[in-house]
Amino acid sequence: MTDTIRTSPRRLVQVYALYVLAALVFFGPVLFMLWSAFRRNVDITGSIFALATPLTLDNFTNLFDRFVFYYYIRNSFIVAGGSTLLGLALGVPAAYVIVRRKVASIGFVMLLARMAPGVLFVLPLFVLSVEIGAPSNNGLNFALLVTAHLIITLPLCIWLLVPFFEEIPVSLEEAAMLEGCTVWQRFRHVVLPLALPGLSVAVTLSFIFSWNYFLFALALANADTLPLPVIAFNFIGQGASDYGGLMAASTLISLPALLLTIFAQRWLVRGLTGGAVK
Amino acid sequence: MTTVTTREAAAPAAPPPAPSPPRSRRGGEVTPVARGVWPLMVPALVVTVTLVVLPVLYTVWLSVSDLRRDGTNAGFVGLDNFARMAQSPEFWNSVRVTLVLFVGCLLVETVLGIALGYLMSIDVPGRKLFQGLMLIPAITASVAVALVWMLIYDPTLGAANQLLTAVGLDPVVWLGDPDIALWSIALVDVWQWTPFMALIIAAGIRSLPAEPFEAASIDGASGWRKALHVGLPLLTPVISVAMLLRTVDLVRFFDTVYIMTQGGPVNSTNTLNVYGYRAAFIDQQTSYAAALQLSLLLLVVVIAGAFTLWRRRRSLD
Repeated sequence: MTDTIRTSPRRLVQVYALYVLAALVFFGPVLFMLWSAFRRNVDITGSIFALATPLTLDNFTNLFDRFVFYYYIRNSFIVAGGSTLLGLALGVPAAYVIVRRKVASIGFVMLLARMAPGVLFVLPLFVLSVEIGAPSNNGLNFALLVTAHLIITLPLCIWLLVPFFEEIPVSLEEAAMLEGCTVWQRFRHVVLPLALPGLSVAVTLSFIFSWNYFLFALALANADTLPLPVIAFNFIGQGASDYGGLMAASTLISLPALLLTIFAQRWLVRGLTGGAVK
Repeated sequence: MTTVTTREAAAPAAPPPAPSPPRSRRGGEVTPVARGVWPLMVPALVVTVTLVVLPVLYTVWLSVSDLRRDGTNAGFVGLDNFARMAQSPEFWNSVRVTLVLFVGCLLVETVLGIALGYLMSIDVPGRKLFQGLMLIPAITASVAVALVWMLIYDPTLGAANQLLTAVGLDPVVWLGDPDIALWSIALVDVWQWTPFMALIIAAGIRSLPAEPFEAASIDGASGWRKALHVGLPLLTPVISVAMLLRTVDLVRFFDTVYIMTQGGPVNSTNTLNVYGYRAAFIDQQTSYAAALQLSLLLLVVVIAGAFTLWRRRRSLD
């Protein structure tokens, strides 16, 4: 925006040619997934060059009629929604404190939580889950899954929110202080409204990351609490050649991420890279 | 760019950032505003300790004791589990697989990421749309990614072999051949994460100052020489952040591998993380798995520590 270089038409053509090439390579497989979700199995396993094969919704209706997918979608909403809300409730004030006190060491613990291998947490959680009887109690099982996913959402929220809080000028809070506001009032009425864009980024990304997360539910969920990614994984064994069903399931799993990339792209770009590049 | 517009939109009430006071990070006095904010941190701190620190401590205890399959713990066994790990060829194979995947993917993703990042940084209409499209692989659930690539890699009916046959090459057993499976998995990771790398690098390129390039032009440097001798050094900090982010994810590579091959065939894709999971939940050797996972954590801690130190030094400069 600062130094717009005039692009010659020839250069424009070159850039767009490369755009098409890169899009084919990197978006192609996703498009292939979406396309296959609407094709009959006999066509999916046929030639990829047969572009004119009929499209159908059968793969999706199958998922809902034969495998009660409503159930798994609901489970995914409970786990991702719950862990996002909790992560936000805990992460927003924490990010504020980290920025105002410039706490590097706690930032390190958060970073560690974000970077630690999920497998490390699964084992203790599994032992705990057996101890409290979570495998046979759906309510407990959901509670455990939401808590486990907090390991994803809490550090992510903090990680994403810190740059937003850093942008809020101290002077506003100083003014509020002079008027006698308490720490909580300042936080609630001055800082929080200014951090709203950051909150929307954190909600969006937390939800998607939690929705996509595979490992915890793989080890901890029972048959009634399985979220989408794990049920899709379980499908591989059952209907080995039902690629249509698998692609329809993959499409459903990818839906939140795809929608948000379309509608909230600016925030996603910033959110994904925000911690690293300002 | 985005930052500026955002701030204006979000804070219409904010006073203009008049001659901004120099903010020193080092040894500065705590501003009055920052006093008494600690209570806001307590809930997150408690949860973090419960969810992150306690499990790690419990895993440490597991790794030096012997939790049997029936759930009883035979007590302290010292470093037996670690000794067993060090003597296990399966463990060293996992280390090798993890490192090969890590180095291979990181190198390819960095080189391709710089190239793609340059393309993304060029100011043409539709750049944002293109960026969004490129972001999709990174944000798609790993399960969906793994499933679609399993369809692409299907030995008889998959798209990959159809393409190879169409150009006259022999079909490949992508996931079933121990010599090839690791590279097939690496290809999926490169596909999924190169655009993410490029996005970070593109942001870096767009924030480069113009002066050094102008100076180099006056000295008669060609486009390539400018990119190599002026652009690349200036971009090093950004590229290394992107590389570190990828490093952390690559060292704990799990989802794609577990879904596509479960570590096979013949352990050729058995990364440390997958090995640790299988030891715990399939072989049910809980204590041994704990030792494996701690060794993986050690690797991650070293990397995270280096990352934080490096970033702190950069923000002090």
